[in-house]
Amino acid sequence: MQIAAPLQAVIDELSKFPGIGSKTARRLALYLLKRDISEIESLIGAISDLKHKLGFCTKCFNLSESELCVICANPSRDNTILCVVEDITDVISIEKSSEFNGVYHVLGGVLSPLNGVTQDDLKIKELSERVMRGGIYEVILALNPDTEGETTSLYLARLYKDLGIKITRLAKGLPVGGNIEFADEATVGKAVKGRLPY
Amino acid sequence: MFLKWIKFENFRIYDSATIEFSDGLNFIVGGNGQGKTSVLESIYMYCTTKSFRTSSDSELVRFNCDSYSFDGQILDTVNHNLRIFYSLNEGKKTYFKDSKPVHRATEIIGKFPVVLLTPDDHSITAGYSLERRKFVDSVISQSSEMYLKHLLDYNKTLRQRADLLSKIRETGSRELIDQLDAWTEKLVQTGVELISYRRKFINELDPFIKKSYSLISNKKEAPSIYYKTISDDQTDLSRFFLAKLNSLQKAEIAKGANLAGPHKDDFVFFINGKELKTYGSQGQHKTFQVSLRFAQFFYLKEKLGKNPFFLLDDVFGELDTERSVAISDFLREIGQAFITLTDFSNFKFLKRSENDRLISVDKGSFCYG
Repeated sequence: MQIAAPLQAVIDELSKFPGIGSKTARRLALYLLKRDISEIESLIGAISDLKHKLGFCTKCFNLSESELCVICANPSRDNTILCVVEDITDVISIEKSSEFNGVYHVLGGVLSPLNGVTQDDLKIKELSERVMRGGIYEVILALNPDTEGETTSLYLARLYKDLGIKITRLAKGLPVGGNIEFADEATVGKAVKGRLPY
Repeated sequence: MFLKWIKFENFRIYDSATIEFSDGLNFIVGGNGQGKTSVLESIYMYCTTKSFRTSSDSELVRFNCDSYSFDGQILDTVNHNLRIFYSLNEGKKTYFKDSKPVHRATEIIGKFPVVLLTPDDHSITAGYSLERRKFVDSVISQSSEMYLKHLLDYNKTLRQRADLLSKIRETGSRELIDQLDAWTEKLVQTGVELISYRRKFINELDPFIKKSYSLISNKKEAPSIYYKTISDDQTDLSRFFLAKLNSLQKAEIAKGANLAGPHKDDFVFFINGKELKTYGSQGQHKTFQVSLRFAQFFYLKEKLGKNPFFLLDDVFGELDTERSVAISDFLREIGQAFITLTDFSNFKFLKRSENDRLISVDKGSFCYG
């Protein structure tokens, strides 16, 4: 079967997206073909702005339109509490909770020798500079509780343990509004082990 | 639990066949290659989602067919309709429980507990330590999802740490050694969890092993298990494990491998204080293997509060009459069991009771008698 080259090019580009296979890519390409040219141009503009207008915050490596991201530039945020996360999506999740008024540091990954990720590939040096500069009261290690995330937390905790800074990690246990009945055994187990005084 | 029936479609040698079971002993009798073990295989798959004979589902499809399925019904507290369907074209197996697809094996493992005794169990008492760790890990995992998660976490840490050790050997980088400390700490944390689960398990299994052994063998022999891990001292295990890894650091880097931890554990079997592997007779090995499986049965029964299915594949052929009778009399008391035999005429001594069922298998069809 032969497909017109411009259509095939769009299909091939879209198939590179995560979670998109060749069939979905074809549907999306045909959808785009039926749209008005103004809509297409607006989409192209929006995508292009992603790269041209967005960069990384020089302080915390969150996404940012200027040198400092909206969180770092906000004077009402508490600069003495630093929350270390793996990725930008984690910043978005924690921000949505509205429970945290400190600032972030995005590592850009976790230690994983098998994937060739060492401390030099992460923003650990920059984190250490922020911590050593002083004025920080607490570092929250908010990395995923998987093998690599926990090891990265251990690494960072060792790095800062003699600085007299409070080092914490997120609690593990039951989801809020969840039913104990529906939680998996391991989660309930962690919740029982990590129980708190009432 | 009572497995009432299974209906096969294009599974192994079966084209379309239904087998109905008794809630007592089911003797499945037939010549070689007639499909006896396939029946046990399907029951095992209902309980664990996986075959014990192959890791490739395409092998289970009947010759010249493009899918297999088997439907069945288990009475637990209520009836459950189970179905496993595999399509060769899609290369995908789907497990349905009461018409709903099951997405993760952990949803099933432990729900319908199972104990399987096969001639391959010889490797548990006579083979490498790996086989004994596999036995212990599989039993604890069936009763504790938490243990399974710790085990997966530990194995991942081993792979990451081994890779880091080889990288340090190649580059000699100082910073990588800093990172190694974090992986070592992670290995110790998870490893100590595994050790404490395993120690508890061996302690709990001990009375069951002794009880099972005395049921099968009328000899005055006392079996025991010694759990051989990094240290017998339980109080300061983390510190000891860490110190050991630190003292091995040079050797670990030189080899690019994890040299200490529960992945090196062994379980040493004794009879009357003598090591089975070195001094045991063939008969003692066999009795120990059967005792381990019976002990597994009692352990799972206590942990999960239900009688596991008991599957015995071609085991009586290797046992003397006395032990075979003791085992079958005993099985009759504990619930539903499935036993394959090549020829029942050799086993007249088994004395069938009313509730037992003799199922003959011939070229993929069943008849009862």
